[in-house]
Amino acid sequence: MLGDLINPYYLQVGSFIMINIILGLSIYITLSSGQLSLGSAGFMGIGAYTSALLTINYDLPIIVGVIAGALVAGIIGILIGIPSLRLTGVYLAIATLGFGEVMRVFLVNWESVTKGSVGLSGIPQIGRELLKFSRDSGFSPMSIGLKNNQFVYLMVLLILVIINILLIWFLIRQNKSRVGRAFAAIKMDEKAAEAMGINITYYKVLSFAQGAILSGFAGALFAHVMGYISPADFSYHRAVDILIYAVFGGSEVIWGSIFGAAFMTLLPEVLRFISEYRYLIYGLVLVLMMAFRPQGIIDVPLLQKLHLTKRRSKHGSKN
Amino acid sequence: MLLEQIINGITLGSIYAIVALGFTLVFGVLGIINMAHGEIFMFGAFIGVTVTSTLGLPIWMAFLAAIAATAILGYLLEQFALRPLRGKKGVSHLAPLISTIGVSIFLENLSHHLFGAGNHPFKSSFAEIHYTIGSITIYLVQILIFVISVILMIALSYWLSKTKAGKALRATAENLETASILGVNTKQIITLTVIIASAMGGIAGILVGMAFNSVNPQMGLSIGLKGLAIIILGGMGNVKGAMAGGLILGLAETFIVAYGDSGYRDAIAFIAIIVILLIRPQGLFGKKTSEGRP
Repeated sequence: MLGDLINPYYLQVGSFIMINIILGLSIYITLSSGQLSLGSAGFMGIGAYTSALLTINYDLPIIVGVIAGALVAGIIGILIGIPSLRLTGVYLAIATLGFGEVMRVFLVNWESVTKGSVGLSGIPQIGRELLKFSRDSGFSPMSIGLKNNQFVYLMVLLILVIINILLIWFLIRQNKSRVGRAFAAIKMDEKAAEAMGINITYYKVLSFAQGAILSGFAGALFAHVMGYISPADFSYHRAVDILIYAVFGGSEVIWGSIFGAAFMTLLPEVLRFISEYRYLIYGLVLVLMMAFRPQGIIDVPLLQKLHLTKRRSKHGSKN
Repeated sequence: MLLEQIINGITLGSIYAIVALGFTLVFGVLGIINMAHGEIFMFGAFIGVTVTSTLGLPIWMAFLAAIAATAILGYLLEQFALRPLRGKKGVSHLAPLISTIGVSIFLENLSHHLFGAGNHPFKSSFAEIHYTIGSITIYLVQILIFVISVILMIALSYWLSKTKAGKALRATAENLETASILGVNTKQIITLTVIIASAMGGIAGILVGMAFNSVNPQMGLSIGLKGLAIIILGGMGNVKGAMAGGLILGLAETFIVAYGDSGYRDAIAFIAIIVILLIRPQGLFGKKTSEGRP
């Protein structure tokens, strides 16, 4: 019964949306302290390769690999973030873009470990491991009327949804805390924030590192959902994709990048015929958004309006 | 061997310098980084291929066509991607960067559709002509590239320092509002700057096509990113810095290919900028700002 309703294809698109939302959150969190980082694709690559190599070569469980991937990306984020503090605005954007390119060249050339531009295959997949686990514990997907692949995709999606809910919850909490207010103050005016006694070095590195951790985490999940990664997955185009999520959806509020990530992932799937022209449209979207609505589709006034019309709107007016 | 590598390095470096000059002009006047410059350059190269290989016309026609096409692209860029953002309230300083990234993505994919994704050879009648002096071989193409680059750089320096329009451009770069109070038509100067920068990109595109004998839609990105690296290396908005930075990068890349691991060639530029930004954020030739950070 349930089996007829579930299409593995939709479930997989859903999983991609969830991963891309994490990427959208990663650029949101760095932007929330006023820093534009174009290195998210590089951090994503670090996370993906770290986790994939650990699980393939050392037979570690996926969860250990994913956490290690996020942590390694975070550590490198701190290492890059501290010196990058000397840079603001466009300089930071270029330096991080440069970092992403160096990462990609590095992944292509370090053939003995990363297999070069061929990429890594045979990465343990979350779905298969779950299926094995449930079989071992004596549970059969057939008992609830699901085929194996339906069960696999459903479980993956469920796990990703739970992860996303936790992440969004955490970030909203953080936004309302001392840390979030410090980020907002730094974004508004760095000097004024410093004069107010905010340790801008600490908070800027914190937000940069959080972005790196989230990118690395998303990368690791990407590796274990796809089962195959190559340096091309983490190129400049990926960085632009991630940038689009925040710019299109709205970079001022957390719901903006979530909406942007979901919408931009869904769009090429829904409109198959435009997928060939996808990047042409992306380019136009960037230019038009900057000209007409630089704050993105979803901004604070829009959220307030939604809040008035729907009293039980889940999200507050300020995040 | 060494001398030959130096010649190769200087050839490559002078092309890089021309690309970087395009970035530096726009940055000097508008204070923005034109991420679409690499793609405008790539379009110039494709125009060159179309004119020489497909239509079979001589190379000087290719230069004219490329200059015209890229100048028009520059005008459109200014008109549609940069002007709407200027003077608007509440637009962050990152908006022009993102907008030009949009243009670059658009142009890259447009050329995918127009010219195809693969490599296009750049046929020129004199590609094989070379001179041998002792043990050193110099190709005519290399001499041509070097001469054109030097002429361009001298012309640009002369134009900037000696002519009235050049003076107006420098005044606008120094302070837009003051220049406009003093009677400089800043709107016109800005448009002119973007057009000249784009046309220089178009010339550089043909030079790269001749040097590497291959043109593809991805070349805009890699050369564009290197141009960015060079202006950071040489100091933002600094014309002499861009020329020197281009030569340094060209020589460094040639030497790593000759004596090191050629796979890391493309990484040098970025490792260099990361190091430069950390040690001397104002660039090799830039003046220190009062704040000590760019």
